[in-house]
Amino acid sequence: MGAAAARLPARELSMGLALLCIWAFFAWREPVFLSERNLSLLSIELAITAILALGMFVVLLPGQIDLSAGSGVGLAGAVAAVLVHLHGVPAPLALLIAGAGAVLAWAGMGVLVAVERVPAFIITLGGLLVFRGLHWLVIDSQTVPIVEGGGSNLYSLLTTGYLPSVAGWALTAAVAVALVVTTLRRRARRLRHGFPADDSELSFLKLFVAIQGLALVTLVANGFRGIPLALVILGAVALLVQQLTAHTPFGRYLYATGGNEEAAVVSGVPVRATVIGAYALMGGVVALTGFMQTAYSGASTTTVGSLMELDAVAACVIGGTSLRGGRGTVLGVLFGALIMASLINGMTLMAVSPEAKYIARGLVLGLAVWLDLRLGGGR
Amino acid sequence: MSAGADAATTATAVHAGSPRPPVLAARHLVKRFGGIAALSDVSFEVQPGEVHAICGENGAGKSTLLKLLSGVHAAGSYEGDILIDGRPAAFRSTRDAERAGIAIVHQELALFDEMSVAENLLLAQLPRDRLRRIDWDAVYERARALLAEAGIALDPAARVGDLGVGQRQLVEIARALARQPRVLVLDEPTAALARHEIDALLALVRRQKAAGVACVYVSHKLDEVFAIADRITVLRDGVAQGTEPATSTDAPRVIARMVGRPIDDLYPKRAARTGPTLLRVRGLRIARSAGGPALLHDLDLEVAAGEVLGIGGLMGAGRSELLLHLAGHFGTRLAGEVTLGAATLPAGDARAAMRAGIALVTEDRKRLGLVLDQGVAFNLTLASLGRLRRGPLVDEIAELETARRSVDSLRIKTASLETRVGALSGGNQQKVVLGKALLTEPRVLLLDEPTRGIDVGAKLEVYELMNRLAAEGRAVVMVSSELPELLGMSDRILMLHEGRAGGLFTRVEAAPERLLAAALGQLGRAA
Repeated sequence: MGAAAARLPARELSMGLALLCIWAFFAWREPVFLSERNLSLLSIELAITAILALGMFVVLLPGQIDLSAGSGVGLAGAVAAVLVHLHGVPAPLALLIAGAGAVLAWAGMGVLVAVERVPAFIITLGGLLVFRGLHWLVIDSQTVPIVEGGGSNLYSLLTTGYLPSVAGWALTAAVAVALVVTTLRRRARRLRHGFPADDSELSFLKLFVAIQGLALVTLVANGFRGIPLALVILGAVALLVQQLTAHTPFGRYLYATGGNEEAAVVSGVPVRATVIGAYALMGGVVALTGFMQTAYSGASTTTVGSLMELDAVAACVIGGTSLRGGRGTVLGVLFGALIMASLINGMTLMAVSPEAKYIARGLVLGLAVWLDLRLGGGR
Repeated sequence: MSAGADAATTATAVHAGSPRPPVLAARHLVKRFGGIAALSDVSFEVQPGEVHAICGENGAGKSTLLKLLSGVHAAGSYEGDILIDGRPAAFRSTRDAERAGIAIVHQELALFDEMSVAENLLLAQLPRDRLRRIDWDAVYERARALLAEAGIALDPAARVGDLGVGQRQLVEIARALARQPRVLVLDEPTAALARHEIDALLALVRRQKAAGVACVYVSHKLDEVFAIADRITVLRDGVAQGTEPATSTDAPRVIARMVGRPIDDLYPKRAARTGPTLLRVRGLRIARSAGGPALLHDLDLEVAAGEVLGIGGLMGAGRSELLLHLAGHFGTRLAGEVTLGAATLPAGDARAAMRAGIALVTEDRKRLGLVLDQGVAFNLTLASLGRLRRGPLVDEIAELETARRSVDSLRIKTASLETRVGALSGGNQQKVVLGKALLTEPRVLLLDEPTRGIDVGAKLEVYELMNRLAAEGRAVVMVSSELPELLGMSDRILMLHEGRAGGLFTRVEAAPERLLAAALGQLGRAA
């Protein structure tokens, strides 16, 4: 998007520097941080954090918020786990049922926000409590495994599945080719119609860096068990949200509603439908994150998902999404999620106490918003 | 009010060659942003009791000049000198400028909607009682005194959010006067005001002038400038084009210096060729909400293809409400019918109105017209994305092509199609709003104050565009507060008076005095 390109590089640079510092610090204190095994696990944790953050991004764009995401994660995972473990429902069907329920519940919150005009902060704060209660009720505050007796099913594979080495390289090559073809095509098309485009050197450089990065990830992942399925899911979700927000009318309506709701209404933007759509999408994302986070824990417990909404908001803000709506990019959100996931992973490796972890996460959230304002992002 | 405030003394308040130094003077001001000079050489001076008008197109450097005078751009960030009483002044902040006696009333209002008029006036200096609590009796008393002194008839207890934009402007001015300034700077003070409010404001300025306050009056409206100013300084491209006494120049000369070329006729002529009636309103009565008082009563109007219908009236007569209602954005319909061609338009359905071919360009472009943080292309195509789709996606090239055609045909000055709309000048922003409306290919175009706050050159372009649209067989409805604009552009003029038709005039019948009489409800239903 042009909006991203036009922004000051100061914040991108400083955020990149922050990530570098975080990685350097953890690598110094716990060399195992950079091991293939840990980086593979980090990529799974990144996928979970980033997918929820991408959903939060879609809700933040029209100027709303979802504080119920964390409890929703716990609830969706719990419903699916109970269906599989206690009722013997096949995993794919259980995921479908829990997912559909989440979409409906979030669309309902969207209606309350968009049509009844109850502030999103209040509606989703209520949702936080209601879903937390339902979550505990559903699992009877016990631990509910997601598979019968040590086997595996679609549910557990979400975070334990890995692509075989050859399939990983094949996927990487396919993505690289698709990236090159679409970039060059788009560039050629813009130039043919007389619109400015990146010059050829810059295009080449961007592609080169992106493909190098992909290859590096594949190399590291194959050094452990292969590319995690979770990372592939993240790629698909990111692509979907990127196309949706940057290149569809719905995406324009999200930005327009958040940028200036009254002007959007006068321009004929279906503001209500847009907000309801954003929440419905968030419902699906919350369910998916719930399945992955619960699978990563191995079972549904009362603590799954707790406070994840704050990590998602932090990832968005670190990545340049405005809390007032109307501004942000998918790439920024992914970057913000990488910072949050790296912090949490590194602190766990260093066996930092849970108390200190909460404090650190809170400070990062505050610091990110403050920096955002200082660097001119929060006009 | 000081004695001797009569017309005879005000005319001689400026003493050329007086030994007294000017209360405020600018000497060769230069202000650069990066490599670009917003001001390259600006000098002017104001004497106590003088009204000094600064005229210039948007982008001429007026805003930058005001920011220098008010301390927004601190001393040291520009070259040249600002002199107070002949002594160089270095404002480090807006507070320094205030302390030196300069009070600026900005074009963009900065009032607290949820507070009363009195609280807004006295916020920084609320009187306290012995227990350091706010002394509300004293607050209202002081506010009443301030309003009376300024000659403003407003209830100090009224909530500012309930006031019209004209009244809010007066509150803003009263707030500046509460600081008892020596130099009062007014930035486009009448942009939002109706005729009688403008008269009230000009009277207020004259009283301040008589009391010895120097006034810098920035305005596009030359009638006012000539009605009030002693001297006029014209700015063009950041350079002062010299200062002249108002009595020894005239509007065409000032315009010529503002634009660098003469404009023979501001209102381009066109041969009206009207077709069949497109928009028809019968017995329309609307209220803000069900159960509220009616804002429009038994209103009938018709607009034909190829016609420009002007709608005038005082602020609060229901002009903007009428347009918003026709576009499906405002009010409950208590009675009456709106049809476009054969289709009946329901109330409160903006998307239906848009589908039927109605497009609205609102008065308040920043609030209701633009997503300022987004680019030119984004804003232009926002209302017509449905036509630019390829599968589920917006076709990037089709969108850019469409935007480029609008930019070219409307002559929107922008660095690129992806430039933030917030970075454009007022005139170009207005063109973007117009372009967005036109891309919906409307049959009826509703324009609310289409030239408010834009410069003379852009105005001319908007007028030409209106004529072109009418010639293409569209119906144009234009609401305007400016009588010359109504007279110059409309085939027929409807004057509203307190929500009713005060009079309907053809171009031939219309004369300023008759229009005004109709707006004041003095004309009955004569047509």
